[in-house]
Amino acid sequence: MSVDAPILRVEHLRKRYGQRAVVDDVSFEIGRGEIVALLGANGAGKTTMLKCLLGITSFEGDASILGRSVKNEGKQARRLIGYVPQLPSMHEEDRCEDALFFAAELKGARRSDVDGALEAVNLLPERRLRVGELSGGMRQRLAMAAALLGEPELLLLDEPTASLDAESRGEFERILARLRDAGKTILLSTHMLDRAEGLVSRAIVLRSGSLGFDGTLAELMERARGRRYVVNLDGQPPAAFFHAMHELGVASEEIAAAPTTWEEIMRAVSTSRGEEL
Amino acid sequence: MSVVFIITRKEVRGALGSSWLIGYTVIFTALALALAYLGERNLGGVGFENFSRTTASLLNLCLLLAPLVALLLGSGAIAGERDRGTLTYLLAQPLDRWELLLGKYIGVSLSIGLATLLGFGLAGIWIAIMTSSMAAGTYLMFVALVLVLVLVMTGIGLVASVLSASRVQALGFALLVWIVAVFFFDLLLVGMVSATSLGGGGLMLALLCNPVEIVRVLAIIHLEPDLQILGPFGSYLLERVGRGGATVILSAALFVWAAVPLALAVYLFETRDP
Repeated sequence: MSVDAPILRVEHLRKRYGQRAVVDDVSFEIGRGEIVALLGANGAGKTTMLKCLLGITSFEGDASILGRSVKNEGKQARRLIGYVPQLPSMHEEDRCEDALFFAAELKGARRSDVDGALEAVNLLPERRLRVGELSGGMRQRLAMAAALLGEPELLLLDEPTASLDAESRGEFERILARLRDAGKTILLSTHMLDRAEGLVSRAIVLRSGSLGFDGTLAELMERARGRRYVVNLDGQPPAAFFHAMHELGVASEEIAAAPTTWEEIMRAVSTSRGEEL
Repeated sequence: MSVVFIITRKEVRGALGSSWLIGYTVIFTALALALAYLGERNLGGVGFENFSRTTASLLNLCLLLAPLVALLLGSGAIAGERDRGTLTYLLAQPLDRWELLLGKYIGVSLSIGLATLLGFGLAGIWIAIMTSSMAAGTYLMFVALVLVLVLVMTGIGLVASVLSASRVQALGFALLVWIVAVFFFDLLLVGMVSATSLGGGGLMLALLCNPVEIVRVLAIIHLEPDLQILGPFGSYLLERVGRGGATVILSAALFVWAAVPLALAVYLFETRDP
């Protein structure tokens, strides 16, 4: 395997429910150390895509982790993946450390790695608490600790902060930042691009299951910019503006593009306006 | 460490905290001890006759309770994970689906088996103390038969669990199977015999359709081949093929009942989206 070989390769992935394609002919690659945001509106196919990448659900096309097909070598491929679901998903009656011991054994990691994983997500003092006693944010950090066991090559995060309050979200994002600094490869499904701005280097946009955009965040902003301008009329009626436009042409100091917000970008990629992306 | 073992161990730990299993253990053990005590006290006799009647009562108790708890726990094995939102997380781990299912199957069966053994064991000790002779071999055979029935019913429960969209749905299916197998099967067959011209072969096939009935007949022909206790289908089988032949046929049928639902559950779990 060459050094530059992609960690994740997705080839013509398509997932249908009956006649309806939820993910439609999507192809992309993620290289080592990349942190990629998987964007899209609710129902765009993000979670389905991640389930396909985990080999949990059947699909057409192929996806492979370091050359291991999730369809044909699912177990081996999943050994290379750490997964954090959208909602807390560990047995509530388990103690935190027992939940991680279980995950460690399944992943073939050492039980002694559990302390390090708990420490990485600032949950070491809570190791003897039951999962059901943790807050939502703590449970997601615990899921992240489980995902980190076994030193996975790829982390798949399915909107891990969607149900968290601002404080918990901030703490989770600080963990993500540390993982970025450590050179981890991450595919982060999210609909809150503003929160991911400092973390991700690249964005993949799913629109109604199809690949709407694949590029850097700067490119995404560039494409989204220019669709909407705020014109400062300085108290003048709009007619005066249009008259001036007609008579004088467009003067740059008169018409300034408003800074495009992440919310606007997300709205653009989530609605029909996103067709232009 | 094998994935199946890891799942089995977790399932046993989980089942030991399950209210279903705790309730089953307490009720079964209490009733088994009560039956053993009453059998000794009412009959007042010693020796094999007393032992066999007490054992027959224990068997009937087992045939009522063990299938119920096996179906209930089996039906919750996958559907419960789905309901709690933990199934996707489990399947995202490096395991094959058959390993998850087999681990759960063994774990559930083992938990119920241990609970059953506790009841049987305490009752057996009581009988051994109170009677002068005890056919330990026969007693152990009954225990083994009940354990096989637990395997069968856990497998059927797993099929319900894999097919059902929710735990409630799986539970409903499990209860339906239990009610039919334990209470209504004989009535259904008697009705079919009356309404149709089921011949001897039909009767035998009908008997083989119910694992609870198979275990009951198999146990009774070794304990006390009384035609009245055996019922019409067991009596017919005994008359036609004798005790040895009936044992072989019924044992083979029980093996099929243990293997087919488990294989079906694995197939369905492997091929369906969770």
